[in-house]
Amino acid sequence: MEGLFFNVNSGYVEGICRGYRNSLLSGQNYSNLTQCETIDDVKLQLGPAYGDFLASLPPNPSTSALAGRMTDKLVSEFRYLIAQSTGATAKFLQYLTYGYMIDNIALLITGTLHERDTRELLERCHPLGWFETLPVLCVATNIEELYNSVLIETPLAPFFKGSLSHQDLDELNIEIVRNTLYKNYLEDFYKFVNTDSDFSGPTQEVMSEILQFEADRRSINITLNSFGTELSKQERRKLYPEFGKLYPEGSLMLSRADDVEGVALAVSAVADYKTFFDAVGLNQGGGMGGMGGSDGKSLEDLFYQKEMDMSKLVFTRQFTPAVVYGWLKLKEQEIRNVTWISECIAQNQKERIGNFISVF
Amino acid sequence: MAATVAYKDRQLLAVIGDEDSVTGLLLAGIGHVTNPPDAQRNFLVVDAKTETSEIERAFQTFTQERKDIAVVLINQHVAERIRHIVDTFTDPFPAVLEIPSKDHPYDPEKDSVLKRVRRLFGE
Amino acid sequence: MSGAVGREPVFPTRQSLGLMKSKLKGAEIGHSLLKRKSEALTKRFREITRRIDEAKQKMGRVMQIAAFSLAEVSYAVGGDIGYQVQESAKQARFRVRAKQENVSGVLLPHFESYTQEGVNDFALTGLGKGGQQIQRCRETYARAVETLVELASLQTAFLILDEVIKVVNRRVNAIEHVIIPRTENTIKYINSELDELDREEFYRLKKVSGKKQRDVAAADAEIAAARQKEAEKKAQAGTPAQEAKEEEAESTDVLGEQEDNDVIF
Repeated sequence: MEGLFFNVNSGYVEGICRGYRNSLLSGQNYSNLTQCETIDDVKLQLGPAYGDFLASLPPNPSTSALAGRMTDKLVSEFRYLIAQSTGATAKFLQYLTYGYMIDNIALLITGTLHERDTRELLERCHPLGWFETLPVLCVATNIEELYNSVLIETPLAPFFKGSLSHQDLDELNIEIVRNTLYKNYLEDFYKFVNTDSDFSGPTQEVMSEILQFEADRRSINITLNSFGTELSKQERRKLYPEFGKLYPEGSLMLSRADDVEGVALAVSAVADYKTFFDAVGLNQGGGMGGMGGSDGKSLEDLFYQKEMDMSKLVFTRQFTPAVVYGWLKLKEQEIRNVTWISECIAQNQKERIGNFISVF
Repeated sequence: MAATVAYKDRQLLAVIGDEDSVTGLLLAGIGHVTNPPDAQRNFLVVDAKTETSEIERAFQTFTQERKDIAVVLINQHVAERIRHIVDTFTDPFPAVLEIPSKDHPYDPEKDSVLKRVRRLFGE
Repeated sequence: MSGAVGREPVFPTRQSLGLMKSKLKGAEIGHSLLKRKSEALTKRFREITRRIDEAKQKMGRVMQIAAFSLAEVSYAVGGDIGYQVQESAKQARFRVRAKQENVSGVLLPHFESYTQEGVNDFALTGLGKGGQQIQRCRETYARAVETLVELASLQTAFLILDEVIKVVNRRVNAIEHVIIPRTENTIKYINSELDELDREEFYRLKKVSGKKQRDVAAADAEIAAARQKEAEKKAQAGTPAQEAKEEEAESTDVLGEQEDNDVIF
């Protein structure tokens, strides 16, 4: 039934998004890219997919400039989608941008705390996390003013409410603030897709799964990364989103974990994560973690891989704005992949060039 | 020599470079900000918009005014922009070291110290 | 050469000759000592120069690897951490300590890196994602900075040694080409002056003795004339005058012999 009226309002957006999906780079493109000798070659290879956006780059651009242009294309496409959407779909797309807004806000809070000129920071903000009142944040000169008069005007205000006071902004590490916000955001997003009547059926199913994965990934990462820092277990626990496959038992065990083995134990109830930990298990010891060997995948890599698989699967569903989410994630991964490849080429580290995640 | 007494309390490294180099070196833990109210950083991020005079000023501060810096690291392409100052600075303290950056591979021909080395070898 | 060098402004006396001789001896010892010092330093210097050359090349590679690990971070974090890192830097964790090393009396500083325990400004960076890569990147960069610090001490040693060697060589050259020739010149000058004085003295003595001889001869002649007169008077009286004359001739012969000795001297 839900598909009956979906196309009236959101069919166009979904159609466009599926079109965008087809322009994503394929395995063939990637293997061409890895053969490139210079950034110019990379630029040439990207020509069909990115066209005009790369035209204004100087010869042999830096990788960051290249990534910047690719992001520009992503942003303009996403903005087009937002402009075309209405109703619940529009709200869904808005939700997608909140994650970037959190990063931007965190940036501005850092700037305000250190009494830097926050106007300069606006350029560094992620364009997807741009909202109309963002420049207004620069008006605030101290953190209390920022909190009381300005932050409440932003779309992120609900995420601040109840969990962070202006003293917290001052005292807590910005990373904790960021992760608290992100937790609130994920929970809110999860509630939104599960309660909104327009999203019954495929959207609810598919987005719940993705968001649960996202929540679990954050919990695991936060736990792993907090070893050896001053973050206490209680504080750490507050950062775990309160849903997901690991919630509540897994989260509780995570909050008590002292080392990688503890984390592995905590997640062992969920088959997917257990596989990941088994795959990287040998390389994880001693807190070194990360990239085990030159070709061994790290936990983060596996998570990314999983995320991409899920994003790809979204396209098997119809009548749902979740395809936009899937496309956005795939596109981001694509930008990361290209950045990685061009970085490898620019720095002559060809042996690691295959270390990207190709989806199609 | 006068220098033998001067370096005892030189403990810090300073860096002038592009964003990536500075970020990396700060991650290594060389970053130091002196206590307020006179908060001074021991690093400067240089991008395309940074004025040459600002780089010069930072270089002078790190090499002459601050007495707690033992080594000044400077990206080679940044050093190129203030080459005349780098070349005229020949004091042993602080040691000025030209380092490569991500986008600008190292070119031994431009290094002022290496130039002297090469000259001594009669090349 | 000796003309340009000149000589010390001294009076050509035997005392200053002694002074000059000991000065020459000192200069020669100093020269050989300094020469040896300069050789030792130069040896060290060449070694450092070679190591700098190597270290600079190594630095290129190390920094490249480090930059690459930063690329890994931006791949994992999926964003820019630069600003956050810059803002959270507060206390230097990575510091250097300077030590001294003595090379032939020159104190060369040697930087030694150490990490300040308990200071960690970036512990929470990348908490949500990418934290492991960031840790790894920190380690890579810390190793890179160690290389840089090593290079920095080499370079400082290079600059100091360069300076010191220049000074030492200048001294060696000054001793070799100025002080020694000048002292030698002075000694030569004093010697020649002293010889000159000797000759003058001798000439004077000779003159004096010649004059004396003349005077003696004149006096003798007078006496002889007087005696002759007397003898003539006596001859008129008797023979004793003859004996006295013979005696007189003998004594002049003795004088002649002494003169000859003097000439030989």
